[in-house]
Amino acid sequence: MDDYTIGVLTNIGLISFIALSAYLLIIAGEMSFGQQGFFGVGAYVAGVATAMYGFPLPVAAAMAMGAGAAAAFLVGLPTLRLRGLYFAMATLAAAEMFRIVFELIHFQREIDGEPVGPDGTQGFRGIRWVFENGVEPAGYLAMVWGLLFVVMILFLLVERSKLGATLRMLGEDPELARMLGVHVERFKLGVVAAAGALAALGGALYAHHNTYIEPRNFDIMLGVHALAYALIGGLGTAFGPLLGVLVDIGVLEGSRFFQGYRMIVFGGLVAVLLVFRPRGLLDEKVVHWLRARFISA
Amino acid sequence: MVKSAIYLCLIFSALPAFAQRVQAELACKPAKTDFIYDCTIKLARNGQPLAGAAITVGADMPSMPMAHNVKPAKAKPGKVPGDYEAQLDLEMLGEWAVKLRLSGPVKDQLILHYNFDEKGAKPVIRSGRPLRK
Repeated sequence: MDDYTIGVLTNIGLISFIALSAYLLIIAGEMSFGQQGFFGVGAYVAGVATAMYGFPLPVAAAMAMGAGAAAAFLVGLPTLRLRGLYFAMATLAAAEMFRIVFELIHFQREIDGEPVGPDGTQGFRGIRWVFENGVEPAGYLAMVWGLLFVVMILFLLVERSKLGATLRMLGEDPELARMLGVHVERFKLGVVAAAGALAALGGALYAHHNTYIEPRNFDIMLGVHALAYALIGGLGTAFGPLLGVLVDIGVLEGSRFFQGYRMIVFGGLVAVLLVFRPRGLLDEKVVHWLRARFISA
Repeated sequence: MVKSAIYLCLIFSALPAFAQRVQAELACKPAKTDFIYDCTIKLARNGQPLAGAAITVGADMPSMPMAHNVKPAKAKPGKVPGDYEAQLDLEMLGEWAVKLRLSGPVKDQLILHYNFDEKGAKPVIRSGRPLRK
């Protein structure tokens, strides 16, 4: 594989984590415009852990997931009282708050005569774990997709379990779920924390792929894309967000056909899909039909 | 408890040892086609030009991470030791984080922030000072 293909596939893998985190919230009945905030928390925590304190990447990624889950839990506590558009606005405000905090953090250590660590708007350079440990681009691609594979297996297991059924019921009709004995608030808080952890894992991997992060990386654009990927791909299965990412980055970008017009095409695609297929390409009906035809047969 | 503290101290003190890092400068001028730039990269280490490096040049937009996948270009050695030349095919004007992936005598990735316009590329100034390389 050439450098370009490896780069595109790595980006598809990385952005899938945040798309899946947005998807998880959508099927639980909440739409978040703020998953980029937790992606950023993960990126900064993991970057600090490896570049400033010499932790290995797997430990740093676990720390990032913990921090992402904790941050999402704290954001979820007050915001889950809100519904629909108000919740979406609150999550966007929280993500912007995180971004501004990243702009204000100046926390550096001198390593071999060079300051390393977050330096406000100047960003955070020198997240070199991948280079120091001789991980080649193809190896890092395998690492990203290996983790994504594990996440997908977990999603598929959850979707086929009682937990998955509860999750979808919660998204469809929270009052019914409450009447059937589900503690709606506690359950949603758990989902919000899990989605935060997932986004943070993506952020940790992104920081180490890029070697440099800055607050601007985590602005609303990333959150809108994450949500759009989930909506384009479809809400019937966890493969939906992956399909959404593949359509945008893989087909629109990878083809180079649309070049600078890609964002216009992408915006148009989202608008058309929301009109004709409001629950995406792989919606519940399509997934049911595919299952009946190929799995049950 | 004491054992855990010792382990923690060991982990915290086991910071990676770095060699002197590579410094890079970029100078770009627009080619005849829109959004294509001819760039010269100057690499130095310990104040001395760094020759013999293999450089792959890519770019990403900081405000839209991972959304633009600029085709990486292999840089060719320039006329002077430490100089390398590459052509960048960007999708639009604006701020780009140019990624220099180095292999050969040194393995590293350097990120240089430049504003690309019709005249060429200028280093990005943030909070009143240019971004550190």
